Amino acid sequence: MSLLLTPNASAFFACPALAPETDRAPTPTRMTETAPTEPPDGRHVVDARLLTLVASGDRAAFAQLYDRFSRPLYATAHRILNDATEAQDIVHDAFVAVWEKASTFETTRGTAFSWAVTLTRNRAIDRLRSRRRRAELLDSSAPSDLGLDENSSGPSADVSAATSDQATAVRAAVATLPIDQQRALELAFFSGLTQEEIAARLRTPLGTIKARMRRGLLKLRDQLASNL
Amino acid sequence: MNAERHEELAALAALDLLTSAEQTEFAFALASHSALAALVDSLRSASAELAHTAPAVELPAAIRSRVLATIAALPASGSKPSPLNAQPSAKLIPFPTWLALAAAACFALVAAYFGQAYQTEHTAAATLRDQQNLTDLALRSTQNQLEAERLIARRELADATAKAAESSGLLARLESRLTETTRAAAAASLQLASSREQIDIARRDLAARDQTVTDLTRQLAAQGTLTDYKISTLASLLGNTPQALAVAVWNPANQEGVLTVQKLPALAADKDYQLWIVDPQYEIPVNGGVFRVDPATGETRVNFRADQPIKSIAKFAVSLERKGGVPKAEGQMVLLTP
Repeated sequence: MSLLLTPNASAFFACPALAPETDRAPTPTRMTETAPTEPPDGRHVVDARLLTLVASGDRAAFAQLYDRFSRPLYATAHRILNDATEAQDIVHDAFVAVWEKASTFETTRGTAFSWAVTLTRNRAIDRLRSRRRRAELLDSSAPSDLGLDENSSGPSADVSAATSDQATAVRAAVATLPIDQQRALELAFFSGLTQEEIAARLRTPLGTIKARMRRGLLKLRDQLASNL
Repeated sequence: MNAERHEELAALAALDLLTSAEQTEFAFALASHSALAALVDSLRSASAELAHTAPAVELPAAIRSRVLATIAALPASGSKPSPLNAQPSAKLIPFPTWLALAAAACFALVAAYFGQAYQTEHTAAATLRDQQNLTDLALRSTQNQLEAERLIARRELADATAKAAESSGLLARLESRLTETTRAAAAASLQLASSREQIDIARRDLAARDQTVTDLTRQLAAQGTLTDYKISTLASLLGNTPQALAVAVWNPANQEGVLTVQKLPALAADKDYQLWIVDPQYEIPVNGGVFRVDPATGETRVNFRADQPIKSIAKFAVSLERKGGVPKAEGQMVLLTP
């Protein structure tokens, strides 16, 4: 079933992290294997420092960056493409681009994570649009064709248990948005649709869709700033 | 351009959703508002966090190895050519050694030159490949966007055509209804005029009837009630015609009356019967006028008025007088209220 048709649209961002705590087995912390949770600013600082090292050719730093970013980047690509093989290709290409373009990253223009997400998402959306154009299914494609089928991409219990605090905080921030703003942002981020296509998909005037994206993104930014 | 529009453009830019026109507008806005770039960056960072909301899926460990193997064969992003100019030693070197070192240095210089040239060409080729890839991506993206816009435009055109046809039919129906309504309004207008005319007639008729009622009421008031009337029977005082009879009815309000007579003897030509009204306020009876009877039947009916105002009537009397009557009764009394 399409998530667009679910009564509770927060299911778009639905996520194991929002499930009751009792559903999840507690994961013991092993100090020797797991680094303490970094504060949000600290996380971004560490990411930026690693990326700087990557720019200078530090392959160990690159491996660390891969370990920090690969899970959300792969989840994003998989969500967009709904295809594991294609998503893996996208993640591979994105990390190669990270290696090749690390020196172009400007710390004043945003976080290293958002830079890596942009590299991954753009590639995934290009692949999605190319696939869609080839199939010429733009008019008739069902939401599940856009990789929005929740049923086909549910996380395993192990992966759910390993969901990071960061993901939990982001999902909590998203859950505070009105449902219509959640829907607009979800389609904007994951569907690869244009503004007009999103408006048509949601059967809502274009101006309203733009306003929802604007309000939703501003509120999400503020929520993340206060929660993280 | 207001702040809200800036925020909208920034949000769309952060989500890579700007249209071509908006990209131009956004570029102008960026050039004139320095704070806008920071806003876009903050929103892009916020939108990137949405990656965490995607359902987690397990990434095969082989991908990590594949990525690391790929980058192992690539130069670093910020790699720079190594310096070529080694510092000469100040130490004196024997000539044969110097000669060998010079030859080695020349070889090294040549090798470094070709290495530098190779590195430059390799970097240029990689840059060109990147540019070509970026161009290809941009081209594909543009083609996809154009294709999507063409499909959307075609759909919107079909929708607009259907709506136009629907609107046309609706317009015809509305015009038909308008015509019918206009006709009905004209008929209603005529009926309204007719009704108004009838109402005017009815009003005039009602006014006339009201006037009649008012007149009748006034007359009735003037005539007084029946109980106010004075009705008297006059009996015969004549021995030869004892059956003679008269009835006098007097309306005090109008000061007039009616006298009905039966079986009075016919009169000679020089005689008249004369009616008298006895009012106690006067010393002598008041004249009520003269009358004659039908010679064949002895009957008559006359209206009469008194010569003076009457307050109350004690009796009526009829006397036989000379032709034309007299001011004071002189002749024989023929009828009298008992």
